[in-house]
Amino acid sequence: MTAGLKTIIALSFVLAIGFLLVILSSALWKNYLPLLVVATYVIAPVPNWLCGRAASHDDFMESSGSAVVDFGKFLTGFFVVMGIALPALLAHTGDIVYQAMVMSIVGGLLIYGTIITFTMFFQEEQDF
Amino acid sequence: MSENRLFRFRRPQWMNSANARAAGVYSAGALFSLGFFFFIDAAAYSRSAKNGSDVHVNFVDWIPGICSALGMLVINSIDKSRLTGDSFSYSGNGVAWKARLVLFMGFALMAGGLAGSVTVMVLKYLVPDYGFPTLWFGVANVLANSMIMLSSAVLWVAQNMEDEYTYNLAL
Repeated sequence: MTAGLKTIIALSFVLAIGFLLVILSSALWKNYLPLLVVATYVIAPVPNWLCGRAASHDDFMESSGSAVVDFGKFLTGFFVVMGIALPALLAHTGDIVYQAMVMSIVGGLLIYGTIITFTMFFQEEQDF
Repeated sequence: MSENRLFRFRRPQWMNSANARAAGVYSAGALFSLGFFFFIDAAAYSRSAKNGSDVHVNFVDWIPGICSALGMLVINSIDKSRLTGDSFSYSGNGVAWKARLVLFMGFALMAGGLAGSVTVMVLKYLVPDYGFPTLWFGVANVLANSMIMLSSAVLWVAQNMEDEYTYNLAL
């Protein structure tokens, strides 16, 4: 239990650093477009959760259940790359500067890594 | 199972695991997203202040991407087990024939998308001899369509893996 507490503290620390980087990347240049990265990474695991609930776990010979799961995974992969591609696009078209792009990409990856690690820990606790 | 194999090389064992299948599906989504954003980048750059030229991305540039995405949708919405006509329960009513026809239309849409993107790049950007910031619109179009094709191939392989995996599980 103490190990879980330590991981939770470390994860919240990483999450705070990620949010700091993203908010700084938008507030330093008074241009709030990089905040879209946070929205992207927050909705990235949602298709996986929803489709995991929608799939039927009972009959594994039924292929429609796994098709729903695959669709959720496909959407999650789409959103993860979108979180990197969106700041690059904005920087390339001149909407944000390149320093803001780097900061928002790094911050977004930290936030997404935190979310993924959190869900992994919670799923492991649910299995027991 | 091993006597009526078709190819000499055996499929490696690690490809049958559920993790490899999940990784395949994730990377298919990632590839599709990469291609999609290559093209959105070209379209946004064309309307931004950085584009000095008179040339813009029109609806003509969008047509190959729409064809490729539709083809991917068609190909991957077919149940793969319907394709094998010699499986005894599915062969009635010509389901395998219909599935192959729809699959052919999907592949035709996809190949048409890729060929159309090359056509747009050549006719709209290479023949009038534009320089590089403008040529990027055509290059990004070709890149986007090949990424969508690659993503579809990865998804296909991953779903075939899944069939093998459930077969092993059923035995």
